[in-house]
Amino acid sequence: MKKAREFNDILDECLERLLVKGGTIEECLASYPELAVELEPLLQTVVAARKASIIQPRPGFRAKARYQFQSALQAMESKRRRPFFGWQRQWVTAVTIVFVLLLAGGGTVAAASNSMPDGALYPVKLATEQVQLMLTPSEIGKARLCAKLADRRVAEIIYMVDKGNAQQIEVITQRLDKHLVMLVTLASAPKQGGLPRVLAPSEEATANRDALVGTDSHRAKLRATLARYAINHPVALHAALEKSPESVKPALRQAIAVSIAGYEKALIALD
Amino acid sequence: MQDEESLVRRAQQHDHEAFGQLYEANFDKIYRYVVLRIGNEAEAEDMTQQVFVKALQSISSFRWKGAPFSAWLFRIAHNQVVDYLRKKTKRATVSLDESLSHDDNPQLAAERKLDIEQLIAATKHLTKAQREVICLRFASELSTAQVAKVMGKSEGAIKALQHSAIVALRKALSVG
Repeated sequence: MKKAREFNDILDECLERLLVKGGTIEECLASYPELAVELEPLLQTVVAARKASIIQPRPGFRAKARYQFQSALQAMESKRRRPFFGWQRQWVTAVTIVFVLLLAGGGTVAAASNSMPDGALYPVKLATEQVQLMLTPSEIGKARLCAKLADRRVAEIIYMVDKGNAQQIEVITQRLDKHLVMLVTLASAPKQGGLPRVLAPSEEATANRDALVGTDSHRAKLRATLARYAINHPVALHAALEKSPESVKPALRQAIAVSIAGYEKALIALD
Repeated sequence: MQDEESLVRRAQQHDHEAFGQLYEANFDKIYRYVVLRIGNEAEAEDMTQQVFVKALQSISSFRWKGAPFSAWLFRIAHNQVVDYLRKKTKRATVSLDESLSHDDNPQLAAERKLDIEQLIAATKHLTKAQREVICLRFASELSTAQVAKVMGKSEGAIKALQHSAIVALRKALSVG
């Protein structure tokens, strides 16, 4: 019993040397020559098993997983921060529901929210988004929504890559471009409106600007979101490009170019 | 990388960067563990993602009790694997045993270059506990102490299990 325990300890010590400290089988055997016959075959098995098990995740999977994890993080964060009785959001939601219910019915709208471009309810999803944009009162709110919609479009493009549908990728890319152009316009609002942010504006001007384009903290949050998307979206699209069929590659490259250019402009506009 | 405890504290306070660092530090290890346990790359990819989403959802419940964060993460992975295997028992599986070498000489068998499919096939001849030890110790690079935490056993028990697992693995590789 004691002998077995001692052997287990020695084996574990040798494994620690081999696996963690970069030692060799010969070094271990030299330390325990009386156990060399017993130890050697076990250590050889471990070295072979270790070599075989050092597999790396596919780069495409790694990028996709990272993107989905970031999305889950953001989704949790926005859920956590959402005020339960936020009157403004409640009002917007209520009006949106009433408005769209008239068009489609509640069950349809709920089902549409997760639909993809090849789904029958996808037009309802797009219509709901338009209503949301229309009913969002502040410019910064609209800009945030545009960012969210751009994120959805990228997910849809990746989905359509799996389906091998180049035509749909082109259509969604146009929508992505539209969201990003709108984002740039909204983000550029203070400069175009003649409110130079470098000079100290009057209180009234500051209040007007905040109402239009949000406070600096809102802009900083939006900027952080866009900075994340500026990295994650092209990475996820590139990962999709790696495994995509040749037929969709040109459309996908266009989507990557739109994504990179759009976020770059939006980030400059927010600076 | 900052020390794990402060990263976990920050992640529990919804710090994305901290959670990102924990994710990056453990992603490959969890993936290897799952691949080796279930032997299916596509399913392992899905499950690896699920492990981190689950961790994200329940990180607030994590408490420091002497076990590292990775042990908690592997516990989640272990539970996902157990659920998966339980559901899978009714489904037909393709045996990978044919790909094993039928080399009669154990030494030659161990020395030749194994690939992951052969290793997965060989581990199917092990008991569940032996397989768990092999996956955690050699694929995921956990220390004996960490494996003990994940499996809820003493270090002495893990050392004994590790010994019997290597012997069984060697036998599986030589017999096929």
